[in-house]
Amino acid sequence: MTPNRAQRGASKKRRVPLALLIVPVVLVAIGVAILLALRGGDGAIIGGGDEPPPPFDFIVKPATAILTAPDADEATLSANADEVAQEITPTIDDLYTNAFLDPSNWRHDDYEEVFAAFGPDAAATAEQSLETLTLGATAGDVFDTVEPGKSKLSYQVLFDPDGEPDTAVVSVIFRATAERKSGTYLAIVSEGEFFLGQIDGQEQPWTITAFDVTRDDHETHPPSASASTSASPSA
Amino acid sequence: MRMLPARRRAALLVALVAAWVAGSALGATHPAGRASAAPLFQLEPAHAEYVPVLDGTKPIYVLIIGSDARPDQAVESQRADSIHILSINPAKHKAAIVGIPRDSYVEIPGVGQNKINTALFYGGPDLVVQTVEQLTDLKMDYWAMTGFASFEQMVDDVDGLVVDVPFAMNDEASRAFFEPGVQRLDGDNALAFARNRHDLPAGDFGRSENQGRLMVAALAQLKKEFNKDPARMLIWAASFVRNGTTSLALDEVLDLAFTGTAVNANKVENVVFPGGVAMVGGLSVVTLNQETLDKISKDLADDGLLKKANVPPSPNEPLLGG
Repeated sequence: MTPNRAQRGASKKRRVPLALLIVPVVLVAIGVAILLALRGGDGAIIGGGDEPPPPFDFIVKPATAILTAPDADEATLSANADEVAQEITPTIDDLYTNAFLDPSNWRHDDYEEVFAAFGPDAAATAEQSLETLTLGATAGDVFDTVEPGKSKLSYQVLFDPDGEPDTAVVSVIFRATAERKSGTYLAIVSEGEFFLGQIDGQEQPWTITAFDVTRDDHETHPPSASASTSASPSA
Repeated sequence: MRMLPARRRAALLVALVAAWVAGSALGATHPAGRASAAPLFQLEPAHAEYVPVLDGTKPIYVLIIGSDARPDQAVESQRADSIHILSINPAKHKAAIVGIPRDSYVEIPGVGQNKINTALFYGGPDLVVQTVEQLTDLKMDYWAMTGFASFEQMVDDVDGLVVDVPFAMNDEASRAFFEPGVQRLDGDNALAFARNRHDLPAGDFGRSENQGRLMVAALAQLKKEFNKDPARMLIWAASFVRNGTTSLALDEVLDLAFTGTAVNANKVENVVFPGGVAMVGGLSVVTLNQETLDKISKDLADDGLLKKANVPPSPNEPLLGG
């Protein structure tokens, strides 16, 4: 069978010296290497910054109102407690996203945004507890990815005798799975309570004034393909 | 072994060099020092905590008043059945409780000499505060007051108080029937424990010490519950505000509660101003031992705490076997 024109062309191309094919590949490889080296190297994706954090929201349980006035209207304050929970939840979502999920934070040991949620007195201690309250200073060296798991918030809101919310305690159970560069997996579990109050002069309406948080991570298996990576808010 | 053709060997070499260059550059993104310092990551539980305890060096004095108001009576217009100074040293995380016998015959500002418990009837908690300040020369920062019903409710709100009852009690008048030992008292029983004086050797002196014992128990329990579940503090604070009457604002209640969680309840000195019983104008009254009163007051003024040397003997000593 006589080769057609295209086959002839292909046959002709095979005769090009292999070294000539490799040269562009080598040049590209060197170019990439230089680019990465010049960027200072953080495992960043070529041609852009870190990927955005995975979508994440805590599941929020109905809030409990704690009353200080003997004649307070419990039903009204219960509804108000849920409103307070709705106000605070984005702060806690952001806190955990910034502390554990946002690669642009954990890959670069840059957790400054985390501490914005804390009042001035609590922030100093929080910063000293970075390894417990965040993925950690060297997380970028260890992990490839972090995916959130089913995480929950429950609120207790203390109302003053005039029926105004004074203090909220949010109980947090946060779960995530981190894949190490070695290919093994770590289950991240952060559990605890945050007290929030309304401090004059603070940017956020509710600020963390006290906290008690425990990290209890453990080895785990790769998440199954069907496992949810993002919880949805629900009332 | 079969050799590769020369061109392929050259290509493989170039590829290896390229891989090495690229690999070196990638490797440079992870300084060796940091990579080797990377921990296995939190395989041991870790804990972070911030509790906003007061830490000033100035002592805080809270006058705690137990009104003998019955459920249908206003607490501030009855007599004060129990009067205690709670003194807290925030910096040292220590505290002391000093009971003032209700029948102490003292000068009440604007009223004259009378039993201290009548100050509440004549001028409400503010006059009790003034009277105690005049007596001790200590400036009270706050006062807090409960009546019978509100005290019971407060105890029930926190699911009872765990109290180490120091000796058996069997008093019909107060309905205090207890075997010695650690037990959880509900509001009704806690009130009975606080009111019992008839089967105590020193009567009201011993009762005042037992009331202080309840306060120490409450402090220990608050701390224990807070350590287990910090949100429990809201239950305690809310119950205190809902059932009591106080000069403390809600945020001050929380500040003191946080501070209370740092206090070692086992080391709280719980004392009662000593004195003797006398008759004045047909009234059975307590005449306080002025020397001891001055010693204790001066000691408290210093740092809010009591030195061992200034701790008087327990009025319940005969029952305590001490």
